[in-house]
Amino acid sequence: MSTQPLPAPAAPAPDAKGHQVLLRSRVEGLKGILFVLPALVVLAIFLIYPAYYTIRLAFYEGDFHFGFFHYLGIENFKQLLTNDKDFLDLSKFPPGGALINNLRWLIVYISLSLLIGLGLAVLAVRVRYERFVKTAIFVPMAIAAVAVGIIWLLVYSPDADVGVLNALLRGGGLHTQSWLGNPSLVNYALIFAYIWASVGFVMVVLSAAIKGLPADVLEAARVDGANEWQIFRRIMFPLLSLPISVVTIWLFINVIKVFDIIYVMTGGGPGTSSRVIAFTMYEETFHNGRPGYGAAVAVIMLVLIAPVMVLNVRRFRSERVVA
Amino acid sequence: MKRRRPFIALAVVLALVAAGLTATAISAKPAKRNANSIEVLSLWGGSEKDAFLKVTAAFTKATGINVQYTSARDFIPDIRTRLAAGNPPEIGILPRPGYIGTLAKQGALKPLSGLGLTNAYMKSNYSAGWLSLGSSGGKLYGVPAKANSKSVIWYKPQSFKKYHFKIPATWTQLLAITKKYKAKGLVPWSVGAGPSQSQWTLTDWFENIYARTAGPAKYQALFTGKLPFTDPSVAKAARTMTQIINNKYVLNGVQGVLGQSFVGGITDVFGTKPKAQLYFEGGFVGGIALQQVNTSLKPGKTIASFPWPTVTPSRGRPIVGAADFAAAFKDTPEVRQFLKYISTKAAGTIWVSTGAVNSPNKRVSGKAYPNVLARAEAHQLATAKTFLFDGSDLLPGAFGDTWGFALQDVIQHPSNINSILSDFQKKIKGQF
Repeated sequence: MSTQPLPAPAAPAPDAKGHQVLLRSRVEGLKGILFVLPALVVLAIFLIYPAYYTIRLAFYEGDFHFGFFHYLGIENFKQLLTNDKDFLDLSKFPPGGALINNLRWLIVYISLSLLIGLGLAVLAVRVRYERFVKTAIFVPMAIAAVAVGIIWLLVYSPDADVGVLNALLRGGGLHTQSWLGNPSLVNYALIFAYIWASVGFVMVVLSAAIKGLPADVLEAARVDGANEWQIFRRIMFPLLSLPISVVTIWLFINVIKVFDIIYVMTGGGPGTSSRVIAFTMYEETFHNGRPGYGAAVAVIMLVLIAPVMVLNVRRFRSERVVA
Repeated sequence: MKRRRPFIALAVVLALVAAGLTATAISAKPAKRNANSIEVLSLWGGSEKDAFLKVTAAFTKATGINVQYTSARDFIPDIRTRLAAGNPPEIGILPRPGYIGTLAKQGALKPLSGLGLTNAYMKSNYSAGWLSLGSSGGKLYGVPAKANSKSVIWYKPQSFKKYHFKIPATWTQLLAITKKYKAKGLVPWSVGAGPSQSQWTLTDWFENIYARTAGPAKYQALFTGKLPFTDPSVAKAARTMTQIINNKYVLNGVQGVLGQSFVGGITDVFGTKPKAQLYFEGGFVGGIALQQVNTSLKPGKTIASFPWPTVTPSRGRPIVGAADFAAAFKDTPEVRQFLKYISTKAAGTIWVSTGAVNSPNKRVSGKAYPNVLARAEAHQLATAKTFLFDGSDLLPGAFGDTWGFALQDVIQHPSNINSILSDFQKKIKGQF
């Protein structure tokens, strides 16, 4: 919002009428500012200032009041990216650490959520009990993340009398698994629980978009002899690309900030094998009492999310959500 | 008239902003509690919490001061955030002398001598050993509130009788029983050291073995920063630990250990559908098993404990134990009354009568303990020749947890013990 008044008329006409026009445009400009001011103030207090504070803190060691204590320069970042195996460990194969775990989340969580959500959306429209299916799949979305964690903690229990998954394995004559105790399974076990909780949202958004597709186009394709797969692949999918990208960004942000389910289910363990970026930030700041180091993790998180947000805003500006 | 409008709008907005700021400022100040009420924060839940609430109920009855109990299993972040916000609880009952030291150094705690609990008074109720654990920098901060032995192993007397097992006196005998159980097609052990905050049980395994192989002097040195974790004695004890905690002898193997919680592990052995025979953790297991896991257990018949056997016989059987200390974040008349109360014989007697804890208070009589399990533990603590405090709880800050994570790594990769230990040493160096 510009504070400049609208340019005065080119020809100087300092009569009473001209004055009034000038005044009115000034008043209009001021009104605009006044209307956005409350939002700006709120943003400044709750977003801009804390962000500035965190970024500054990332260059300090920090004390227990989160004060700017002992300037370190980029030492925190250097330590995180080169010398902290819990955050990034490239020395073994496959590489490990919170950053790599987040990458795993990114790939598996986003692709599976989209695939399952889109599949359900496309199929649900075709059945008579659509409303029932959708409600059943959407319900987990309404459950608090902590409760989701507790539910899956029970599902994954190593005790086959408690854990339904191991009961199934035992019933099938297979060896029971410790889903959360095995470092090579734990991340996928967590990701799957989170997919369960978010696939309902993906389905609802995409199925609404499918219903908004122009019926005449689909009908024309059918008349021209396209089969259902061709209709999906060549017509529905391209038309759905914008809602899909919106959902993808939502999923992406979910992944980068995922914390609660990990805190409840594994506490980042066994050892540190299921930590992700947001969990590391919490662990370092509040558990290990290293606010500066934790802030550095937060800054890395911000750097990862920012480009996606910019991309998102640009897309919204250039296109309309519903075609 | 029209011209005035923007200014009115401006005034309204400014007023709103000002109101908003004031509201933020007010809410940033600690919420004022009733004058006649204090908040006590600790990590107990379940039966341990119920036992403590009986003590606070008696306190409220005697003084009219209400106690608001806050349970925070993961207490370190809780306290850290509340301190940073300038709103700590009045009292915290904390299991880690190492963390009490950290808090005292930050100036977050009030020394007891300034709260009306003189050193002479404290000495008349507690032995010097307990008091030194609650002290930091020569000042006493923590009232030893409750204690437990961590050198007991829980077993099923009826099962021992059936197979003619004797109480093992040495590690070799314990291993022999383990093997015999296995040979009979039973799972010898359950260990719960998994999600989300149970890694501490492994630190207790390690401590008992370390105290019995390296001896008390090295034990003290290791956990107070005077001996590095790369000392060969550490790797040796860790390796000994994996003689039992391995895929052969524990329920669902090592990964089962990492997938099971502390209470879940007790249920595996003493629940209504038992799957394993032996469980190791402190004296508090008895209370949890009897009150939370399976109320039909019969102390002395279907559940009992024996003292940890020797490992290197010449080192004997030092007792590893733990205690919780009550420390004050604020100085108010109510806080003074509360600390005074829990240091009395009356409070200790109520507390031990629940069967959940032992009292470090020397005035509490042995008769106050309700059953054979609690009495055996009290006897073990009272007659210990060498008492060692839980080592992981002596480590500074949150390193007690980090050490547990390292041991989770050890049981998975016993061949990497040396590199795991040197990584841990790098982290903890300079932190004492």
